[in-house]
Amino acid sequence: MSRRVLLWSILVLCLILSACAAPAPPSSDAAMTADDDAVMEEKKIVNMWVGTNDTADCVIEVAVNSFNEQSDTIEVIANKKADMINAVRPALAAGTGPDLVQTHGPSFVAEFALADQLMPLDDFVDQFGWNELFVPWALDLGRIDGNLYSLPQELETIILYYNKTLFEENGWEPPSDMEELVALADTINAAGIIPFAGQAGECQACNEWYFTEFVNKVAGPEKVYQALQGEIPWTDPDFVTSLNILNDMMQKGYWMGSVENFLAADFTQFSTTFAEGEAAMNMEGTWFYGREDEYFGAGTDHGNEWDWVPMPSSTGTELYSIGLGGTMSINRNAEHPEAAAEFLTHYFSPEVQANFFSQCRLALGPIRISVDELGDIDARMAEIFSRFAQASDEGRYGYTTWTFWPPKSGSYIYEEIEKLWVGDLTAEEYLEGLDKTFQEELQAGETLAMPDR
Amino acid sequence: MQMSTESVGQNRILPSHSKSLLRGNRFRKQLMPWLFIAPITLLHLMVVVGPSLSGAYYSLTEWSGIGDAEFVGLQNFQELFFEDRNFRIAFQHNIYWLAFFVTVPFIVALAVATLLAQVRRGAMAMRTAFFVPYVLPSVVAAFIWKMLYNPQLGIGAVLANIGIPGLDHAYLGDKDTALGAIMFADNWHWWGFLMILFLTAMQNIPMDLYDAAKIDGANRWQEFRHVTLPGIRPTLLFMLMMTAIWSFLGFDYVWILTQGGPAGSSELLATYLYKQAFQRFEAGYGAAIGITISIIAGIIATTFAVLRKRGWEV
Repeated sequence: MSRRVLLWSILVLCLILSACAAPAPPSSDAAMTADDDAVMEEKKIVNMWVGTNDTADCVIEVAVNSFNEQSDTIEVIANKKADMINAVRPALAAGTGPDLVQTHGPSFVAEFALADQLMPLDDFVDQFGWNELFVPWALDLGRIDGNLYSLPQELETIILYYNKTLFEENGWEPPSDMEELVALADTINAAGIIPFAGQAGECQACNEWYFTEFVNKVAGPEKVYQALQGEIPWTDPDFVTSLNILNDMMQKGYWMGSVENFLAADFTQFSTTFAEGEAAMNMEGTWFYGREDEYFGAGTDHGNEWDWVPMPSSTGTELYSIGLGGTMSINRNAEHPEAAAEFLTHYFSPEVQANFFSQCRLALGPIRISVDELGDIDARMAEIFSRFAQASDEGRYGYTTWTFWPPKSGSYIYEEIEKLWVGDLTAEEYLEGLDKTFQEELQAGETLAMPDR
Repeated sequence: MQMSTESVGQNRILPSHSKSLLRGNRFRKQLMPWLFIAPITLLHLMVVVGPSLSGAYYSLTEWSGIGDAEFVGLQNFQELFFEDRNFRIAFQHNIYWLAFFVTVPFIVALAVATLLAQVRRGAMAMRTAFFVPYVLPSVVAAFIWKMLYNPQLGIGAVLANIGIPGLDHAYLGDKDTALGAIMFADNWHWWGFLMILFLTAMQNIPMDLYDAAKIDGANRWQEFRHVTLPGIRPTLLFMLMMTAIWSFLGFDYVWILTQGGPAGSSELLATYLYKQAFQRFEAGYGAAIGITISIIAGIIATTFAVLRKRGWEV
């Protein structure tokens, strides 16, 4: 009897230990035939992780499936992961993870690259013609210590959208400089309408949109560039002025009616308030394209329409803050890095990017592509990207926080700015804290190499 | 003593094969418990002890969470305790959290359990109704409260529409009310669980004690104070200890409702830890916060252990 118990105990122990063994490799199709198996053995497998939303399904359809259909030698397997980008970090630290590594932006790549977890991509640049494919400044942002570690994924900028129907009903004209914007906000508020829709309750990180726009459009991109280079501190009086203008409007309740409403609102309230005409304007990125058709247009009860102007600057110059929404890299431990690079070339090809834009409503990558190649898309979005591209070619651009600021400074910007808005900090105190954090990261070499202006 | 002598005497007269059998039995007797706890011990070593030790090590390092860690001694703790204002604020919020959760839910749960103990008809339905929030996933419960607090759609808006204004306020967006609003929502799911525990403990108190109290002329309050409370004291004190420890682990409701905002007004140590480790890439610093939380939990548990040793019925 005792021996039997002993044997059972050992058996249970063995079962538990066997459960700790590495899992079998994932298979996209459980019912694969022997022939399929043979083909798969011949093909080089490239793993990538994608999110779990509808956009991820669209990415798989547009980029992964189209690649697999045309390639006889490479099979890309897309695994869906919740909180995909955060899941990558422990996986890479454990020496595993996907072959293709996605991050939030170039400043996050530095952490992985400095930890030797990403593969330098320089050898693939000429082989796959990436110099000709990508806009130069965007490709250069993937360089760390002279080596290329990432490819820029989505080109973004912040735009001033406005409720066109509401503007027409009230006879308002969209502003062309910062002074006009402030005056227009006063007028709209006096008419009993909220000047700006926004939120911080669901996405605190979105607070950085406002910091980005006011420092670039009031202090100006030259000053921002100098500060990012460490040539001037963030406590410069022009930055103080920038934030005071923003804060004055915030204190007047120009976002969602009050600071409290703004800080508690979520994306649904934000979008509804704007679309239904409770709020007149919205400072948001080009990713607005992903959801504008849900809230505006013929498919809605109100039928309101939107339009846009560049976010006004103090000088009246048409400026766009450039941003990259995410990057793609290759895992240092990838079994077939060249195959992964071949897939990336397909992923960033004009055809696939145009399909991302029109079918998945994703922003374009910073590649050389003409508006004609984008196919049947919303004319307003086509215009935004066209004018944005022209402005960046002519050097009329500023810098988004999520692309050019290192991670700790980036977090500081969107977390601590709420203290400015609720009155716990002055603009000077807020910027002193930012400067301290930024200088530490600058000293540690965690800032990006800035492209020349 | 006598039994022991007899055992020794028996061994002396046993043949050699029986002696080896006895030795084998004794060996199995000693080994068997170890074999039974081996799987869970192994698991514990892997998922608790190992990460705890590595967490303790990383708290002494400058580490981004990826790549190599640089040993910096107690620098993280020095920064945490003497320089980091946000840590002090988060710690202060945890003290408020603790003060709230060792009082309000206990008072509500005790009051309702005492009343429910006397209910005969429909008691099970009422217990179930009060307990249901506890079994709801926190993400669901928090989302419900997010909607209820919404100044345009929630309770305040409904009341304003029927002529009762003043409550349609963005409680989660106001730095003065955000933490309180979250504690209220968290308590809504928590007190029902405490109530069930207290009710169960109350049902184990012999009825004779209540009868004796009645004969002595005790009123309801005196019955509660001198019979009920002493009767459920072990449960009450154990839950007080556990609540005190859990108070420093609060995360889910805060994260879902405000992410520690607005302006850090609802930041707790656990949310601050998460932000440091996963948003600012300060994993070493985050580990130092984690170790600090563990030390606080250790102090609470030790305090209860010392009190027990000194004769308190804890």
